[in-house]
Amino acid sequence: MWIKNVHLVDPAQGISGIRNVLVQDGVIQAISTDLDTGEQLSDEQALDGTGKYLFPGLIDVHTHLREPGLEEKEDIASGSAAAIRGGFTGIMAMPNTQPVIDQRALVEFVKHQGERAGLARVYPIAAVTKGQRGEELTEMVDLRAGGAVALSDDGRPIMNAEVMRLALEYAKLPDLIVITHSEDANLALDGCMHWGETSLALGLKGIPSSAEAVMVARDMLLAAQTGGKLHVAHVSAWESVEIIRQAKRQGIDVTAEVNPHHLIFSDEDVTLNSTALKVNPPLRSQEDCEALLQGALDGTIDFLATDHAPHTWEEKAQPMPEAPFGILGLETALPAVWQYLVQPGRLSVEKMVEMWSALPARRFHLPGGSLKVGEAADMVLFDPLAKERVSRDNLASKASNTPFLDQELRGLPVMTWVAGGLKQKDRRIL
Amino acid sequence: MKWQRKDLLGLRDVSEQEIQFILETAKPMKEVLFRSVKKLPTLRGKSVVTLFFENSTRTRTSFEIAGKVLGADTSSVTVAQSSVAKGESLLDTVKTIRAMQPDVVIMRHPSSGAAEYIANILDVSVINAGDGQNEHPTQALLDMFTLKEHMGELAGKKIIIVGDILHSRVARSNAYGLLKLGAEVIFAGPPTLLPLEMKTLGVQVTYDLDSVLPGADAVMPLRLQMERQQKGLLPTLREYNRVYGLNLKRMEQTGKQTLVLHPGPMNRGVEIESDLADSALSVIEEQVTNGVAIRMALIYLFVGGSANDVD
Ligand SMILES: [Zn+2]
Repeated sequence: MWIKNVHLVDPAQGISGIRNVLVQDGVIQAISTDLDTGEQLSDEQALDGTGKYLFPGLIDVHTHLREPGLEEKEDIASGSAAAIRGGFTGIMAMPNTQPVIDQRALVEFVKHQGERAGLARVYPIAAVTKGQRGEELTEMVDLRAGGAVALSDDGRPIMNAEVMRLALEYAKLPDLIVITHSEDANLALDGCMHWGETSLALGLKGIPSSAEAVMVARDMLLAAQTGGKLHVAHVSAWESVEIIRQAKRQGIDVTAEVNPHHLIFSDEDVTLNSTALKVNPPLRSQEDCEALLQGALDGTIDFLATDHAPHTWEEKAQPMPEAPFGILGLETALPAVWQYLVQPGRLSVEKMVEMWSALPARRFHLPGGSLKVGEAADMVLFDPLAKERVSRDNLASKASNTPFLDQELRGLPVMTWVAGGLKQKDRRIL
Repeated sequence: MKWQRKDLLGLRDVSEQEIQFILETAKPMKEVLFRSVKKLPTLRGKSVVTLFFENSTRTRTSFEIAGKVLGADTSSVTVAQSSVAKGESLLDTVKTIRAMQPDVVIMRHPSSGAAEYIANILDVSVINAGDGQNEHPTQALLDMFTLKEHMGELAGKKIIIVGDILHSRVARSNAYGLLKLGAEVIFAGPPTLLPLEMKTLGVQVTYDLDSVLPGADAVMPLRLQMERQQKGLLPTLREYNRVYGLNLKRMEQTGKQTLVLHPGPMNRGVEIESDLADSALSVIEEQVTNGVAIRMALIYLFVGGSANDVD
């Protein structure tokens, strides 16, 4: 199959321009600028990409698929369908399920459920500590052998610094990256939004930026001390960006991610009952949004990631202090970043694609991230003009806790392939 | 003016005109309370439901008396705090209440925003009787009513609120209300209970109570929850009393007959000492009576209609 006359964006190859792409047997066979090459083929074998973009399939390093145990919110099949609709061909699944993914058998279960669903590639992340209790390390070598691509106690900060130090040391053995949810549980205590003028005016308990930044600083020092590999999940505060920038200058082996909601919304968007915007870490100030974007542009922040966190409607239909933290991400993240950041010229399409495919693939040693000849054809056809109203009916996710609910998003993935197999066409899962 | 508001959730988005209207409506209501027969036929057959998720016999009783004096039927639903997390969801509780066809629902809840939450579900009026740390508008209204009875218009009056500002819905509602009436509002308290960012509400903030006392027209110490000390926000109650506790001696610094208000219940010997609480400066008991009048006015406005036919 030829995809003709499409704007290919592939930062790993330094390509951003009109190309013809030949896919055969699930693999990229040729990329040509010679627009005649495709002409020889019949229309059934060619797809007209005029006016559209072709990206390597996006890879999301931070999703919560909720299976096993929390299937009322999401399961691996619905989560990977949501991924495919959102343009993601690979997703890393956080282990804070019930039970916690802290043994090889559970890692293999997640992997198999992903394969059974047959949509996006599902990569299990295993827990750093048994039961995510922050006390004893998991069998990291065995977890890796079972298919874990990283380690994280996401959702639960590792409060004991000595446990974190030991984790960074021991994770060197299986050569796995420790993904930190950097949050001081005492400083964050009971808060439900960013600590600032808005929280004080609304009487909602605040989570100060320091709750994140002190732990980011701690984790940098421990990574420096141990030489372990660290990845900072969901950076939200400018102080953290500054600390990570310094750490990278010192050569510490650290990467960081930012979630689209932290770039697009601030605490000023939060109202007394906006539970769709209740997320941890919380939406911070405008200055934080600005610092996060700067961090992304100068490479301090490496990846975009959704932190896709489904919750049931009933759970979110509570007053703010009682509703759970989390925003749905997979199906809206790409159009939202497109609409709020790329279109206004604040982030280039090349940078966006690099942060969401090439860089995560390289860091976590995952397939994909580029459409080089010979690579598996994990790819997304993106139509910048396609429009869709986000609704409970069209979301593939079981949940609908998105701030974009009932809003129209413009710029959508209209086809998604995994290993050359078409999984989504015109917003429908195949 | 005509009362058009569906709910009273707080004073943040209520206009000065509306506040003055409520305070005016409360005046004839207060007179009723001093009659020998305290019963009006005005709201006969109307149903007032109080829904309390926190224990507060004082506030609930005040609303119930207000409803009864107006002739309405009052029912109270008390939901134990423990069941908030485990049992029935607030949504289901509110749907149950809705099915009982009340004319007005009065709610106290430990979560900020809970009153707005139920107001979005119910077609009938909701009066917020305190939601988390957000607002307690009827308390602020009764405070303003009491102040106005003693000092007339509040424009330019210096009013100090002392204590645990951070966790206080009373402080927030009073700030929003008093500022709209033109008063000068000062928050005083220890740094752990008074974030300086609160000045963005339009108030003055200080850690040094004694420095702002001169010239104060009214001082309102807030109830200090004992758990603040247990959670480490204060070293001891003794030290709190030394720095922020109000007594007659400390009040001499104001240089005038300064009114002392308290939202109750008082911790005598902590935020206020008995010599002051029981002195001529104290209007704390009047506040309780005025609380009933304010709540009558609100129930009346929400259930009854215009203020003209009260007599
Ligand atoms: Zn997290």
